[in-house]
Amino acid sequence: MTELNRRDFLKVSAVTGAATVFAAGCAGAPDVAAESIAEERPRERMALLMDNSLCVNCQACRLACQNENMLPVERKYIRFDYIDKGRFPNTTHHVNRHSCQHCGNAPCIDVCPVDALYKGQEGFTHVDFEACIGCQLCGTVCPFDVPVYNEDPRSGAWKMYKCSACEHLVSQGGTPACASTCMTEAVQYGTWEEMLAKAESRVAQLRDKHPQAEVYGSTQQDGLGLLLVLRTPAADYPHLV
Amino acid sequence: MAIDRRTFFKRTAGITAAAAALNFIDMKAWAQTVEDGPVEVKPSMCNMCTSECGMQIHVKNGRAWKVTGHPDHGISRGKLCPRAHAGLHWIYDPGRVKTPLKRVGEWEFEAISWEQATDEIADKLKAILDEHGQEAVFGAQYPRTTGTLYLNRFMHSLGVATTMTHEASCQSARQLGMTHTFGAAYDADWRHAKYLLFVGRNMGEGIKTGSANCFAAAVANGAKIVCLDPRLNQSAAITEWVPIRPGTDLAFLLAVSNILVTENLFDRDFIRNHTNGFVNFRREITQYTPEWAAGITGIPEDKIREIAYDLADNAPHCAVDTGWKAAVGSNFANGTDTARAVAYINALLGNLGQLGGLYAPLGAIVAEPNFPSPAVPTGVRNDGVGTEFPVAPPTGLPHVTMQRAKEGKVKAGFVRHFNPVRSFPDYEHMRAGMRALDLLVVFETHMSETAIEADYILPEPSFAEREEIIKTDGATVCMRTKVVDKVHPETKSFDEIITLLAQKMGVGQYFEFSLDDWNEALLAEQPFSLADLKRMGSTQGLTYDEPVVPGGCGNLLPGDKPAPPTMHPRVFLASNDRNPVPPLGTPSGLFEFFSQRFAQAGFNGIAEWREPETGLSLGANEFRVIHGKQGYHSHVCTANIPMLAQITKDYDTNRIWMNAERASALGVSDNDTVRLRAKNGRTAEVRIMVTERIHPDMLFAPAGYGNRSPYLEVSQALGGFNPHDLCDFRTEPISGHAMMSELIVAVESV
Repeated sequence: MTELNRRDFLKVSAVTGAATVFAAGCAGAPDVAAESIAEERPRERMALLMDNSLCVNCQACRLACQNENMLPVERKYIRFDYIDKGRFPNTTHHVNRHSCQHCGNAPCIDVCPVDALYKGQEGFTHVDFEACIGCQLCGTVCPFDVPVYNEDPRSGAWKMYKCSACEHLVSQGGTPACASTCMTEAVQYGTWEEMLAKAESRVAQLRDKHPQAEVYGSTQQDGLGLLLVLRTPAADYPHLV
Repeated sequence: MAIDRRTFFKRTAGITAAAAALNFIDMKAWAQTVEDGPVEVKPSMCNMCTSECGMQIHVKNGRAWKVTGHPDHGISRGKLCPRAHAGLHWIYDPGRVKTPLKRVGEWEFEAISWEQATDEIADKLKAILDEHGQEAVFGAQYPRTTGTLYLNRFMHSLGVATTMTHEASCQSARQLGMTHTFGAAYDADWRHAKYLLFVGRNMGEGIKTGSANCFAAAVANGAKIVCLDPRLNQSAAITEWVPIRPGTDLAFLLAVSNILVTENLFDRDFIRNHTNGFVNFRREITQYTPEWAAGITGIPEDKIREIAYDLADNAPHCAVDTGWKAAVGSNFANGTDTARAVAYINALLGNLGQLGGLYAPLGAIVAEPNFPSPAVPTGVRNDGVGTEFPVAPPTGLPHVTMQRAKEGKVKAGFVRHFNPVRSFPDYEHMRAGMRALDLLVVFETHMSETAIEADYILPEPSFAEREEIIKTDGATVCMRTKVVDKVHPETKSFDEIITLLAQKMGVGQYFEFSLDDWNEALLAEQPFSLADLKRMGSTQGLTYDEPVVPGGCGNLLPGDKPAPPTMHPRVFLASNDRNPVPPLGTPSGLFEFFSQRFAQAGFNGIAEWREPETGLSLGANEFRVIHGKQGYHSHVCTANIPMLAQITKDYDTNRIWMNAERASALGVSDNDTVRLRAKNGRTAEVRIMVTERIHPDMLFAPAGYGNRSPYLEVSQALGGFNPHDLCDFRTEPISGHAMMSELIVAVESV
């Protein structure tokens, strides 16, 4: 992903995946070919669900992501927007995850001149970091202002940074690091249909107290791979349209 | 060669941390991690807070790369909070203590050998014990199984009675108040509750991973949850926020009891069969009307009634969470009675042992190792516990010990993995106390504010490089295993150091066992071996028939997984039906509305209203300063971790919160720097965040910033304010805690 080329990365993750299986208690040397597991798996559209109504802003997702993807300390794929509404004592506070929304119809892929951006079988927009030439076209067309232009401290080259949905994990049937770590289960991972159903059911529950609650991402850009549960209208958030 | 701050870093692995501060990339180390290589997954436990979540450390090229939650650990439940991810930094931090250090000047040290260090320490300690007796010595630690076993055993073997932890800056008042009502500090069964009231507790930011998981599950289940807090914290943000004037939670709680009692909304069966002192309590509580409480707390009378009725309607499947620090902890003069008032409401609801109420889980069976043990000393403690503070918990009062040290009565201290100089008010008081000692030995991995006052700093390997004593949490049995090789070969683990010191002190006979010997003995009644546990890291063990209530830090959680067939049946949380009330740990075996023990010690037998010691009236430019956690920092030890400091920097979150209307009246704008002046004349300059999320009476200081050790360079570069710099040394009369929020400041322009 970030600093490895894609082939190397898959190699790393194959071993990682196997070691994880081993640690989970299945006997066997850690040389199980994870790729073969992946090949047997039926591919369907997957999604991350960010239920902002359960997020306590602990930032574990950001850090798990940074470690998983071996990002330098200052680089992060997951950021947050915060809004306050009302005056004391009737204040409410809301957070929203700001990271790649994994558009079904992703304009960044269309404009990338070197095919550094591409769709995986799970529907996420992955990045070939080595291939990126830092032209910033993806940033200019992104509807959500996500990719960040920054220096790769190892090579000194300037590149675009954005969430790749942990390609090395999801392509092996694994779960993105942000969803694995989330203690409030605000971040969940599953098939797109499951996640949408969960989001809709949560929003129905929220509407008692938050009549403007909504699911964001069921239709935008032909459906988003990062679905959002919002308690207030999308227009309140600086990076949503 | 003497080591000061500059040379300390020069001597580290070629990394100039000063230059790297807030521009944190350690390229060499990072490249090593990124490099392709096989990955091993090894079990461990997080070391960032007392919860010690079970986790897996993924090791690549022999270097810890990332962590994932251990699914078989009762607290982590496969999840991890941010600190666990960032905690790997502690292994490779260039600021690690690498060899034994001896003080040669103000915050300056020289590297010495273990032989020299332990010889000199033993000689000095012998002389102090000979001349001044056991009362002149103390041991203190942030509680860990290994520290508790080895430090306390070492102290006991020398006849030293004063062993302490951090609790007097944390939840000792809660522990005391709950113990003298319910007989133990029960937690709430958050996950299954229909209604929960949190009194200042912030489950999302004062994190225990599994507790936050249960809390969020209750939110997702649609439980009604109210957070009483002067600040719209992140837990209140996803539930219902009821703002309250800081320091007045006791008035609110007494009024809720008043409503439940006077309107006959209590569990008559529980009160009749399982409590004592109710008649007197009923008489006393009539004075605390909702009208009265509304005037003190600023919460409308109708809201107080609504909360009381909601609790009654949902009883017994609801709870007033028993809190941790905040209102029931070490913040205010009324902390202990606030904890008792929380207990009263739960008793009135009859929720003990009921689904969604207060509960205790079954605890894993721990066998008693049979090695020669020193007698537990019965001599006088130097922190006032048992004398000046007759009912204070044995977790001790480090701030009182520092006062005695300043008076020349305490001469030697042994401190492990604990930083009381920075974590207690006031900094100058704590520092002066440590400096007044003839011998201060600090066991640390880092140059903390306490370490830099030491005469000797003895370095341990980091949490990932050492094994420790087994820990149990509910049914979970877990241990820290050696995940990576020692980064600094000269470091020694705590069990090795104490055994060495004990031999030099002539009490080696109490340490003629290895870590493995002790751990094997602990597991004698479990169906798995120590080797099994080292491989698994965390597992669910055989449990006792009776619930085991946590003593102090160490949270226990209800298991959601069905119990394996080898486990005993659960006596609690069996169903929605009424469960039998468990035996209570009080002297009477009953819930005590009236505490004989308190009365005998000269305190009020029944909790009663008292104001914060600093009163409730504020001048036009005055505020109370309250501190609290952000989810991504722990205590006073994480602001130096680059990944966490970067979050603070990205979102500018180490500013001091001020209510927007008050700010406007004072002419203070967002991001302005102002001067805070305490009544003792001390001042600090802080940057303000103007917000609608806070009560007008208070400033909120995010905790964990403001490190003073010049060796903590990332934290120094990040900056920030620690209110203990302004707060006075104080003691709450009953539990003796440090009254950390009894601080009123005037805001001045600079």
